[in-house]
Amino acid sequence: MKKIMYLEFERCIGCRSCQAACRECGGHDAKERNYVEYVDFLESRQTFPMMCMQCKDPACARVCPANAIQITDDGVVLSAMEEKCIGCRNCTFGCPFGIPKFDFEENKMYKCDMCYDRTKHDIAPMCASVCPSDAIRFIDHDEMMELRRKRTQLNLIEGKKPSENNKWQYVPEFFGVYSD
Amino acid sequence: MTQFIVKPGTKNLHHEGEKLITTHCCYCAMQCGMHIRVNEKTGKVVGVEPRYDWPVTLGKMCPKGVTAYQTVDHEERITKPLIKKNGEFVESSWDEALDLIEKNFKRLQKEHGKDALSVYGGVSMTNEKCYLVGKYARVALGTRFVDYNGRFCMSSAAGGFMKTLGTDRGATLPWPELEHTDCFFIAGWNAAECHPTSIQWLWKARDKGAKMIVVDPRETQIARLADVHLDIKSGTDSALANGMLHIIVRDGYVDEAYVKERCNNYEEMKEKVKEFTPEYTSKITGVSVEKLEKAAKIYGQSPRSVVMFCRGIEQQSKGVDNVSIYTSMALLRGQIGKFASGVATVTGQGNGQGGREHGQKADALPGYRKIADPEHVKYVAGVWGIKPEEMPKAGVSAYEMFDEIQKGNIHAMHVMCSNPAVSAPNTEYVWDSLRKLDFLVVSDFFMSETAEFADVVLPATTWAEDEGTTTNLEGRVIRIRKVKDPIGESKTDWQIMKLIAERMGKGKFFPYENVPQIFEEFRLASKGGKADYYGITYDRIDKEDGVFWPCPSEDHPGTPTMFKEKFGTPDGKANLAVVGWQEPAEIPTAKYPHTLTTGRVVFHYLSGTQTRRVKFLMEQCPLPYAELHPELASQYNLANGDKVKLTTPRSSMVLDVRLTKAIRNDHVFVPYHWGKELSVNQLTNPALDPTSRMPEFKVCAVKIEKV
Ligand code: SF4
Ligand code: SF4
Ligand code: SF4
Repeated sequence: MKKIMYLEFERCIGCRSCQAACRECGGHDAKERNYVEYVDFLESRQTFPMMCMQCKDPACARVCPANAIQITDDGVVLSAMEEKCIGCRNCTFGCPFGIPKFDFEENKMYKCDMCYDRTKHDIAPMCASVCPSDAIRFIDHDEMMELRRKRTQLNLIEGKKPSENNKWQYVPEFFGVYSD
Repeated sequence: MTQFIVKPGTKNLHHEGEKLITTHCCYCAMQCGMHIRVNEKTGKVVGVEPRYDWPVTLGKMCPKGVTAYQTVDHEERITKPLIKKNGEFVESSWDEALDLIEKNFKRLQKEHGKDALSVYGGVSMTNEKCYLVGKYARVALGTRFVDYNGRFCMSSAAGGFMKTLGTDRGATLPWPELEHTDCFFIAGWNAAECHPTSIQWLWKARDKGAKMIVVDPRETQIARLADVHLDIKSGTDSALANGMLHIIVRDGYVDEAYVKERCNNYEEMKEKVKEFTPEYTSKITGVSVEKLEKAAKIYGQSPRSVVMFCRGIEQQSKGVDNVSIYTSMALLRGQIGKFASGVATVTGQGNGQGGREHGQKADALPGYRKIADPEHVKYVAGVWGIKPEEMPKAGVSAYEMFDEIQKGNIHAMHVMCSNPAVSAPNTEYVWDSLRKLDFLVVSDFFMSETAEFADVVLPATTWAEDEGTTTNLEGRVIRIRKVKDPIGESKTDWQIMKLIAERMGKGKFFPYENVPQIFEEFRLASKGGKADYYGITYDRIDKEDGVFWPCPSEDHPGTPTMFKEKFGTPDGKANLAVVGWQEPAEIPTAKYPHTLTTGRVVFHYLSGTQTRRVKFLMEQCPLPYAELHPELASQYNLANGDKVKLTTPRSSMVLDVRLTKAIRNDHVFVPYHWGKELSVNQLTNPALDPTSRMPEFKVCAVKIEKV
């Protein structure tokens, strides 16, 4: 898998299609593993999506005392193995992004697996496939780098120029999630 | 013929034991492409796969589209005809139900004349079915009373386009061209919630630096990101648009050559807009002079622009005027008929475009023909095999049919693909009218609020159990494929119409065995009309990613861009709007001091009959609410989650408060997708536009009380 999950928060329109689509992935048992939140509805309608960062050195796996959270060769951090998981829920607290969830009925943890049955064939995960605003994309590394440069270019076209005290505003407003 | 359409190089996930069938979403007019996953053994619909290679939507879907398949094998489907006995619905056989319908229809026509019957249609169904509704009413039942829910949706846009451009096609340009536009002037379109998959095109254009101006009383997602958000008072669009024309003329942004060659009324229009100075416009609309100036400057200077609008400006008692003036903005800039520019109304219902063209409307016949024109009647009567003099005269609009019930002129109604008990304004009057009917037949696949009033409910099929064509918001005719056989004893709407026609002794006019036969007749019926589908075939749709009407012959390429050389008016010229300012039908008073406006949320579709039965969508948005600015709320000591009572001259209702600064501080917003005591249409004003007969859903005066 050479592709990258790319999030551009500002594009999000809060439709929660990514959540609906997450439920549709095979093996997801109709439970979503991502979430969408308002930044602050009292102030504006801006929302942002959050999904698993598929961390290189994942906190969820690190804090798991049972070693139940496995990482595939191409770097996808999977849900806890049922036979190993002891239900301590450390992972749900350890993850800085609040991704792993615990199913009390089934007594098991579940999290984003980047729609592994799709992405292992280089087919986009369900969330990135349906996102109507391209806030979530599944793209090549090169394409991501180009998008980063574009953002800077756009700011210049707008006639803005970063100065020392506002240059943070020119930092591209997205996360690139590396899968390998 | 293959049911799975995919372009070389596109990868989709095929689950073992499943097949994919290519179709489009059943809900809004984006008609997002999708493949439905069907279990090959059980035949059940199990999920959805994105259609990445559908050029309009590229695999993207909103949450309604993602979950649409869940309505097909839904446990609440009506699977047998139901007859009401002693106030309770009892399952019956088709024969028993049809016997009852035949007996009552014939009795009522004998007692009160042909026009005692009426048909109330809808445009969330295929062209084939929409076409048949008009024929069914006029030939099978022989009544003049037929109309459809498009009156609450597209009729103002249609009226405005007819007046200015001479032909009503929702968009004058294909959607993928939007990427190349320099400026969007958007009025009354909550794009992110109502047509989410359009956003990708807007954002792509913005990535390239396109400007965006958004007119909306609420700071919607697109308004928040707009270069200028014109935070207008609901119902003042005609002033705002005239104000824009004023500055465009004043500052020399007019494409004089284009206007001279292609438009009428320029001098009169210039004279008219003189009074709409930014100061005067600002006073009426509540938008600051600076914002008006800035918006007009950006719009006026953009080389390629699209003016886009939606129900926000159309669901008003001046809807047609609003459409005409906003459209004139595009005309003055010489934009219509060119690449990546033009004007578009964004159709709400799945087949809002196709469904309004082919004779479901009280005064219209297939191909946008008019019942008032003897030549048109002659042509269509010929196709239908009746005598021209047998063609009933024009009826009345949807809401006015309820007046006719109250007056005792309409005694029975057949409602198809519609839920007026929720979607019509002033619902308590509508409920009373439905109760007054001697006999009501409703075809639906769920027990809608309207169906609850029925004497007979006929089990119809969902979109996935029948085939046909729809026309999306661009005017592109596309194909809906049958995914599975109808469940239980449900039947398609066309089969139901055919069965009743047979009972009324008109079976020979409805000899159809399958949908392609209806399509063939419909092509012919539209031939030579404004909306000419004659050259469109199912094969061409598959090969060419849909075909844009007008398409008069099989070797005609279709018409992606409208009005390249001339307009659809008799003299080929567009008519610039010469329209003054007029208040909405109801304005705030001491007793009702604020403005109520209504609209959609992304999780629901129309009256919610389908989406309120989908788990994911209900989890996201289970109930309507009243959205208010904290400044307005504090006047009534209302906090988030409090209960508020809203009262208008029609009625009152209680809702939960949701506070946000993303709305004008003198407006209240309530979404409309719920029925009965949760229906905001208990409060809305049935004031109708004089031309389109569109009710004023978007503006009425309201009183706020804490409870
Ligand atoms: S699908 Fe895209 S636009 Fe919609 S909520 Fe998710 S990230 Fe935001
Ligand atoms: S669940 Fe959290 S910690 Fe684990 S890989 Fe995902 S983002 Fe990282
Ligand atoms: S409701 Fe409209 S935007 Fe949403 S998936 Fe269906 S057609 Fe697309």
